[in-house]
Amino acid sequence: MLTAHWLYGLSGCLIMTFGLRAVLLNDSLLQRIIALNVMGTGVFMILITIAYRGPDAAPDPIPHALVLTGIVVAVSATALALTLIRRLTEEQDND
Amino acid sequence: MNATNMLFLDILLVIALLSLAWATLTATDARRSVILFIAFGLVLTLAWARLLAPDVALAEAAIGAGLSGALLLAAVQHHPRRALSSERQNTGKLANEKQNDSNPADLKSSVAIRWTLTLFCIALAFVLIWALLQALSSETSDTLAQSVSANLANSGVSNPVTAVLLNFRAYDTLLELAVLLTAVLGIFALSEQRTGYLPAGPVFNGLVSWLVPALILMAGYLLWVGAHAPGGAFQAGATLAAAGVILRLAGKRNIGLPVSKSYLNIILVIGSGLFLLVGLTMLALGRPFLDYPPAMAGYLILLIETAAMISIAATLILAFLGGRPRNREDRSC
Amino acid sequence: MIDTLIWLVALPLASALATQLLPRYATAIVISTAIATSINAAALLYAVATHGVMLYQIGGWTAGLGIALRADGLSALLLMMAAIVLLASSIYASAYFNDNPLRRRFWPLWLLLWCSLNALLLSGDLFNLYVTLELLGLSAVALASLGGKTAALQAALRYLLVGLLGSMLFLAGVTLIYAGYGTLDLATLSRVVAAGPIAWSALALMTVGLLLKTALFPLHFWLPPAHGSAPAPVSAVLSALVVKATFYLVMRLWLDIFSEVVTPQAASIPGVLGAAAVLWGSWQALRAERLKLLAAYSTVAQLGYLFLFFPLLQALPAGAARDAAMGGLVILALTHGLAKSGLFLAIGIIQQRSGHDTIRDLDGTAQRLPATTFAIALSGIALIGLPPSGAFLGKWHLLAAAFSAGQWLWVVVIMIGTLLAAAYTFRVLGHAFGQQPYPRHPVTIAAEEWPALILSAFATIGLGLAGAPVWQLLKVSL
Repeated sequence: MLTAHWLYGLSGCLIMTFGLRAVLLNDSLLQRIIALNVMGTGVFMILITIAYRGPDAAPDPIPHALVLTGIVVAVSATALALTLIRRLTEEQDND
Repeated sequence: MNATNMLFLDILLVIALLSLAWATLTATDARRSVILFIAFGLVLTLAWARLLAPDVALAEAAIGAGLSGALLLAAVQHHPRRALSSERQNTGKLANEKQNDSNPADLKSSVAIRWTLTLFCIALAFVLIWALLQALSSETSDTLAQSVSANLANSGVSNPVTAVLLNFRAYDTLLELAVLLTAVLGIFALSEQRTGYLPAGPVFNGLVSWLVPALILMAGYLLWVGAHAPGGAFQAGATLAAAGVILRLAGKRNIGLPVSKSYLNIILVIGSGLFLLVGLTMLALGRPFLDYPPAMAGYLILLIETAAMISIAATLILAFLGGRPRNREDRSC
Repeated sequence: MIDTLIWLVALPLASALATQLLPRYATAIVISTAIATSINAAALLYAVATHGVMLYQIGGWTAGLGIALRADGLSALLLMMAAIVLLASSIYASAYFNDNPLRRRFWPLWLLLWCSLNALLLSGDLFNLYVTLELLGLSAVALASLGGKTAALQAALRYLLVGLLGSMLFLAGVTLIYAGYGTLDLATLSRVVAAGPIAWSALALMTVGLLLKTALFPLHFWLPPAHGSAPAPVSAVLSALVVKATFYLVMRLWLDIFSEVVTPQAASIPGVLGAAAVLWGSWQALRAERLKLLAAYSTVAQLGYLFLFFPLLQALPAGAARDAAMGGLVILALTHGLAKSGLFLAIGIIQQRSGHDTIRDLDGTAQRLPATTFAIALSGIALIGLPPSGAFLGKWHLLAAAFSAGQWLWVVVIMIGTLLAAAYTFRVLGHAFGQQPYPRHPVTIAAEEWPALILSAFATIGLGLAGAPVWQLLKVSL
């Protein structure tokens, strides 16, 4: 196991749990969405760490492809969530 | 770079990432949170590049930090009051309990819940790290990565990440385009576009007039180069969308998207539509779904990626605009 | 023949795009797609029954490098149920949204939901399952928020956040699996997985994520508002199919792929939570003031019954008793799917005709809407689990399994749950059959009432009397 595995793997796990805590505890909807994105980034970091094989070896391309897919799915979900928030505030202002 | 310098860089990057993530999540003000999140995304691109994931670094810069950041900033911009304040009535059980802050018993139980959940997260972090270290230190078979390189010659492209995305696991990518389409149709069902920005002043306009063509050129390059080097439809689509966002900020209303609803629909569905069509054509030719003939694979992938880029760019721009196009009569500028 | 698998995903997707491009012909496109997909599902069911497990390697790549679709008895049965519910609900929805401008937005999302359900039930790859979960989640949220006001939008937003959190936890588990075993293919994984920290934590992460989406007590808090405020055909599909799809995945993981890893202690956790769900959900359904909320809480309870099977299936040795219990679990899930969708469709008719769904003010419904009231009564029989419904068979096998495993506590839970279900069903029927002194003319709305009636009748009579093939089909497993 490489030092990079330790360092980045550990931070991936930590970033994911930081994000999870904020998703569960934050009051603001917008910040919950951001927290979900941060949490996802933690998972992506674990994936990219797994793919790493040292400075001179070609990394495993499969986790890279999975993360690319994950990033696009995350932005789609974020966009839908933000629109829902906007509509909700508009409705509440009308009430 | 020698090993010690590398280690120094790694430690620096990891500390920066952890503190930015923590600051993003604990900021009391949503606007600060968004800005820190964008900074986090930018540092993340460095980490991806360091871990030899240039494709992911490009996508992170364009989509993760770039467009998500733009979407979040627009959200804060348009609803400063609600987005910044805590929305108690919406956020479920926890918030309901906090509604009567004056009641000391409720306050106590809410503190108890916070601590329970925090302890749960700490426990989860330990379990995750334990399992991950176990996994990384065991001799995992590398067979999948090997079979990717063994089959790369038949995939039609030489960039292994593009080969996985558009050939070996193309089905994932097809469904991912369906996810994008679902999001944009959901947004259309919910809301109309926001009102636009005022036309830009001469300096910004001057900037726009060279930035937009440069971005379009770059999108084309990323799309083309994706076959053998880092790049591809998603990065290209996001770059194209960035051009759209800039045009929008400069006060251009239609930002190059077609006014007619049916043309707009075609642009939105062409990515998943063409992908599906190629897959079904293979069925008609007696091959499995999405099994490209090796000789044609390169061309088919480029065709699919071009269509995907168009749909991705249009979807991201429309998400930024915040809804379906307004009716023709409002389309004054 | 084998192409059936890919067509089950490709056809709804293609039609979703077509309805977006040609909104004028949307209804015709949807109905013909619904019929064709139901025929496909039936063909798959027949093929699995005669030839065994079906495998389709997309792109011609071997599973592992590429993604494989797989169908066994369990997935084929659930695909068939999904097709029946969606065909009936599509016909219903074409009348429900008749002149509504929302129909143009509704159809493409509806077909995308169908595509994602089929893709999920067929997928043989862990990361692909994550993508299908997200597709299912986003399309379900978009449909649930359709035309909604403040309450519906709030419910949809919470539904979205919970769904995204669930998918992310699932993905974290998938990541650990890839780190530990270097594969995403389910069949390969079930061969190599071994008890240990990696398998346990991966299974725990994936399960918590899925249970959040399946709304198992105490993670059910988002379900009643979301299912209770969506348009009627959407509520039907959310309650009957969407939570079942994630339940199917939990089943697949616990009883199939990780079955060697799961310990009896671990299997008792879903059992205990299921018991709590049965009691809490039934009690809340009894206290609900609105019909839709009653139906939604009843879903929480009915999902609880399904989880009661987990400790029993873990305790029973492989053999006839375990197979019988497995069949009971599946037939209970199928009956609930059909009965609950029938109930939600019927409630939608009442809501449209009388402008409300308050249970207290239902008097005279039986005089005005006789067929609809009959559909509610039929689905009530299935929800209580009276003979001849499929749920009766399911609960019978659940009780038998509890007796033979010597786990008596579950028997008490099942008894109390059944009594509460009878109470909330008869509370509704009592009001609906209440006479009004000056009854309004009875009306029939064929396109809306037939689907509700057929679904409830299928649950009550069809599955109960002709349930035997379910056990035959479940013998075909991966």
